[in-house]
Amino acid sequence: MSVGERCALLELQNVSYHGILHDVNLAWSHGQFVGLIGPNGAGKSTLLRILAGIWRPTTGSVYLNGKALSDMSARRRAKEIAYLPQHMPEDVAFTVEQYVEMGRYAYRTPWGHLEPESKEAVTNALNTLNLLDYRNAHLQRLSGGERQRAGIARCIAQGSPIILLDEPISSLDLYYQVDILRRLQRLSHQGYLIVTAIHNLELAARYCTRLVLLHHGRIYAHSSPNDVLTERALLDVFQVSAKTYADPYDGFLRVSYPS
Amino acid sequence: MSTSRIRWAFVTLSIALFIAAVLELSFGPMMIPMARIPSDIWSLLHGGSGTDEVVLGSIRLPRLLVAALVGAGLASTGAVLQAIFRNPMADPAIIGVSSGGSLGAVLTIQFGLSQLSQWYTPLGAFATGLIVVFVIYRLATFRGRTSIYSLLLSGVAISSFCSSVVTLVLSLAPLDMMQQMLFWLMGGLDGTTWSEFFILAVFVSAGLIIYLLQAHALDVISIGEEQAEGVGVSLQYTKQITLTTSAFVVGACVSSTGVIGFVGLVVPHLLRLWIGPSHRNLIVASAIGGALLLLLSDLVARMALLPVELNVGIVTSCLGAPFFLYLLRRQETTMHRG
Repeated sequence: MSVGERCALLELQNVSYHGILHDVNLAWSHGQFVGLIGPNGAGKSTLLRILAGIWRPTTGSVYLNGKALSDMSARRRAKEIAYLPQHMPEDVAFTVEQYVEMGRYAYRTPWGHLEPESKEAVTNALNTLNLLDYRNAHLQRLSGGERQRAGIARCIAQGSPIILLDEPISSLDLYYQVDILRRLQRLSHQGYLIVTAIHNLELAARYCTRLVLLHHGRIYAHSSPNDVLTERALLDVFQVSAKTYADPYDGFLRVSYPS
Repeated sequence: MSTSRIRWAFVTLSIALFIAAVLELSFGPMMIPMARIPSDIWSLLHGGSGTDEVVLGSIRLPRLLVAALVGAGLASTGAVLQAIFRNPMADPAIIGVSSGGSLGAVLTIQFGLSQLSQWYTPLGAFATGLIVVFVIYRLATFRGRTSIYSLLLSGVAISSFCSSVVTLVLSLAPLDMMQQMLFWLMGGLDGTTWSEFFILAVFVSAGLIIYLLQAHALDVISIGEEQAEGVGVSLQYTKQITLTTSAFVVGACVSSTGVIGFVGLVVPHLLRLWIGPSHRNLIVASAIGGALLLLLSDLVARMALLPVELNVGIVTSCLGAPFFLYLLRRQETTMHRG
């Protein structure tokens, strides 16, 4: 996979958006697995849409390898950044393969033809997510977890080194929460830059390499999970007076909530 | 959806369309035996002027072609709008072009323009249809993004406004004008001319090409706008170009035949059940299916109460509604079983 070699550097400079985000500065490079955390309405989804180039910041800019995102066409952007929204419609009659093929939209010829390399990318993506057996299954027949996997396969088929996900595990059972996060972690090891909004703090601390804690549209903290998820931060941002401690088995951060 | 199933669908639809076309040419107050039609058309092309040639050349052929084009235009537009609105109940009327067109047509008749030239009513319908679409589009666009919900709601509001003005004009019009207006509003294919055919041919074929170029974008949009933006679809561009094209195609259809309901709603919906959701196939199949439905409806409209001719718009609704309900019902039962 050539993804690791395509050095991706995603940067936000002084980004504000209609009173939802205020003066956000961030920079990540390839191979990182970033978790966006914060209460509902803190601006996580807005930040992701701005990172994806779907919404333009009212002030400030997003740069990809030094180039402003706003100067790129939608297709050009999609080849660099894949974005998976939170809601996956459930009544879709497309098959898994047809859906993953949509990830190649930006590569289609003007008359809509798919080149052989696109077909290969689709097969690879299905293979990476263990979906080859499901390729002809209809999306509406899949479980939520499988559908989310199809969504990630669509992002991989896109061939973009950056993948942004909006709460990919929030409606899944425990098996698929772990399954999806481990797959994303593996992708980041392969060189992808993964940025995901996530509500489960312990899982975020377990799998993400960096966390961004958003509070009222501002960055409260941006660092490694242990440095971000302090008791003070949980109190300030989530208004929960919880204790944090290291898991005796694996040393990852745990949160002990008040009784 | 398997390729062979889709291929079968196209073959079946094309054969059915061909048969419907032959029937449309053959049946009428003056029957022309089907066996004679090929030789009649041949002699028509070489300047023949017998009774058959006149009936075919100046009445049935243009009527056949206009009906087919209007059906194709309305149904393919329906397929496109159902994707844009992500709503199976969307049909060409949703963007206001039909109600705007009706208003324009009724006003040209009211102010006597229709008596000056036969072109004023279709032109008036076309122009007001486009203006209404544009107004609705502007109302629904905020910060450079067009919201589908606002589009739907302002479409409903503006359409009902237009309809009430139409009713007002109708109620104030003198009897002969009122008849003319009602006749136009019901949608009919009588008195179609070759020039109508040529205009429609340009609009509908250009429209189909543009729709097909957007087919893959429509696929993604049909599962969600954010999904579409995530894979690189220029959402606003696709909305603009498909809505503009729809307005022109439906405007051309409405101004030559009046408002013909149900074709744009029922045909794409049925075909989606048959051949799947992929818009490349769906748009082409809808065009063929729409042409077929309108030809069959026209056949019924002309033959059912001979010598009286019904308006084809009445027939499409009367035939389409029960059939549509039957299929919906069947779809529900199979879904619950499987």
